[in-house]
Amino acid sequence: MSVRKRILAGVGNAGVTLADLLAVSRPGERDLVAINNDGESLGASVAPASILLPSGDPGEALASVAGRFGETLEGASALFLFGALGGGTGSYFLPGLAEQAKSRGISVHCCVGIPFSFEGSERRQRSREALERLKPFCETLAVIEYDRLSGSGGAAAGVGEAFRIADDTMLSALRAMEGMEATSGPVRITKADLQAVLGPKSGKTHFGAGMASGENRLHEALEKALKSPLLAVSGKPGALKQAQRILLLLKGGKDLSFAEVQTAVAEIERNAAPGCQIKTGVDAAGTEGMPLEILLFAAAEEPVPAPSPEPVSRVTKVDSTAPKPEKVHTSAGKPLPRTTVKPAATKPTQGTLSLETNPRGRFDKSEPTIVEGEDLDVPTFLRKGVKLAAPHRK
Amino acid sequence: MAGDQIFVGLEIGTTKISVLVAEGRSDDQISILGVGETPSRGVRKGEIVDMETAAECVREAILDAEDKTNVEIGNVWVAISGGHLRSFNNRGTLLLPEERAIEQEDLDAVETKAKEVSLPTQNTFLHTILQAYHVDGNENVIDPLQSEGIQIDADFHIVHGIKTRIHNTMRCVESLKLGIEDVVLSSLASAQVVLNQDQKNYGALMIDIGGGTTDYLVYIDGAVRHSGVLAVGGDHITQDISVGLRLPIARAELLKIQHGSAADPGGVQGEIITLGNEAGFLGCDIERSALDTVIHLRVKEIFEIIRRDIEASGGGKLDLIRGVMITGGCARLRGIAAVAEEVFELPVELTRARNVSGATQIFEDPRFSTVIGLAKYARIITRNMRPESVMDRIAKRFGGILGRRGR
Repeated sequence: MSVRKRILAGVGNAGVTLADLLAVSRPGERDLVAINNDGESLGASVAPASILLPSGDPGEALASVAGRFGETLEGASALFLFGALGGGTGSYFLPGLAEQAKSRGISVHCCVGIPFSFEGSERRQRSREALERLKPFCETLAVIEYDRLSGSGGAAAGVGEAFRIADDTMLSALRAMEGMEATSGPVRITKADLQAVLGPKSGKTHFGAGMASGENRLHEALEKALKSPLLAVSGKPGALKQAQRILLLLKGGKDLSFAEVQTAVAEIERNAAPGCQIKTGVDAAGTEGMPLEILLFAAAEEPVPAPSPEPVSRVTKVDSTAPKPEKVHTSAGKPLPRTTVKPAATKPTQGTLSLETNPRGRFDKSEPTIVEGEDLDVPTFLRKGVKLAAPHRK
Repeated sequence: MAGDQIFVGLEIGTTKISVLVAEGRSDDQISILGVGETPSRGVRKGEIVDMETAAECVREAILDAEDKTNVEIGNVWVAISGGHLRSFNNRGTLLLPEERAIEQEDLDAVETKAKEVSLPTQNTFLHTILQAYHVDGNENVIDPLQSEGIQIDADFHIVHGIKTRIHNTMRCVESLKLGIEDVVLSSLASAQVVLNQDQKNYGALMIDIGGGTTDYLVYIDGAVRHSGVLAVGGDHITQDISVGLRLPIARAELLKIQHGSAADPGGVQGEIITLGNEAGFLGCDIERSALDTVIHLRVKEIFEIIRRDIEASGGGKLDLIRGVMITGGCARLRGIAAVAEEVFELPVELTRARNVSGATQIFEDPRFSTVIGLAKYARIITRNMRPESVMDRIAKRFGGILGRRGR
């Protein structure tokens, strides 16, 4: 039986970092290539192969590496491209390399990061433009918005920690795409299922992953997956409720039981909206006793944005001597009800520094009690968003 | 002589470890001789997480019980709880080769058939509780032995849980050179003293809210129809108060006991509870409504989860339940009955062990319902059974772990 060859390619600084992490976690992985225009970064990379993009005009650089890149793709049926958009390298070369691969008839799967807000609006704007250029060449596309990961490491997490979390999430998403694209079985995810959720036109995609081992691995993995920050909507878990389609992959060893699969699917169903299509894949090709991994992508159609009101100046000079505008009257002579358009930008409010408390408290180290997708170790009033009167200290 | 039988119940709870010594009376009731008790450590949500520490606490409780009752404890009946326990109802069917008198072996075979279900690999059976026999379509045959028939059906309520966790409890007890008579689902034990026969017949839901778990059991037509364990209890209420009102756990626990109420505060504000200065704690004023809101939301959620679980188990059981009996340490929480009445839309009674005699202050305390229930359960089980057959049964269920007997 022929093994479908797939190539993993990390592009730009973020892509090379991810390629290194992959190389470390998968000793012996040969089909991994780091691509960058920074020779120093490639020199330090532990990826088994690398392609140096020449400096100068990016178009010429892309053309000059086409041959080398083509050799790398020789015999491959799928290419997994990953990196961050927004920077010079990723924004230009990710779409360019995707196009080259697609022109060779190779399925292109992309996992890209959108920069944190603090990296600057220009960078984010560039990432959005690059994303649009990338879409036509991708069979599937996972977009990780780094901003939505903020808070995963706590408010006091350092910037380095924030990037580490972003890298970890990218890696999980990439592994999830890879696993779903080539599920070993016994329950496979089809290409159509994959495209329905991760296709470039499938709307906003949310991602959750959880891994655990031991006696309670299923519940622990489920809890982690369901609490993934990328499944949050406005800071609260809820993306699954809004999703029209969900892809669920359970990866484990030969001891992955039918009951575990059943429970996992039932739990995801409980957390999803009625009528949501859930496609499940099971990959039990690992060794017995290996951790159970739950990976899920959820696609929600993005609502059509309402037309925004005309921009209103936040500071309006009122000239008391100017004539008042005439009232508009209906045909019946009555004035029309007054409509007020509030400016989009409301007045600035002072931020609140949240108190660093752990809501699981004494249960932090104990097995979580998850019922109907909710962690019951977290106080009920917190989960229901009930505000309490603060105690008055003496 | 039956009247001389001594039964010892052991409950390794999240908040406390209790050892109850009772004497079986000739009228099938039990008389409490005394109870040993020690605060629990190494136990979370009804399960042992630190074997050595928990074993030490059990040892203290055993010694306390021995001191108080002057009984040397050798064998115990052990209560089991924990969020890993699951239950379902199943029917076993046996077709006899020809019509003949039904024998005990046939009934055993039906039970085996009912247990021919696929459990998760890590799970083991804890109980197979008979609900009813049906012989050749004749429903609810009370005692089919010696009846003529060709097809025997039997309905069972089956309780199962993760093998290693059940074994952990057993190992903890055995490490103290104590023999285990049997392990019993906590709620099944409690129900033996909390519910009377009429309530079991007419339909009752018993809820035992302890420190780490809430155990519940439904009796309809005199048989167990549903059971469950929610790994949420009084500790969670304390934790919620601690987080919500920013109090140390110990202070939150005291506040819950002294002032807490599960009743819906309904937006009533203004009443202030003043907490004085203590060593390591600077006093503060808190709104009663805030305290009661925290408790109310948690208690209501517990009941709502139980209600949904019973509904999801099918059979329209909620319509067949005539009343709710609440016991366990949290039954003492003010206003809890009203919340249960609102959620279940049924009459609710706060209750404790009944139909037992002996030390009044023990059986009047709802915290001891399970451990008293263990003794009652033991009395019922051993009434017509030789001691060896009890051991045979448990050895068959849990294998070689019960190598030793008594000290």
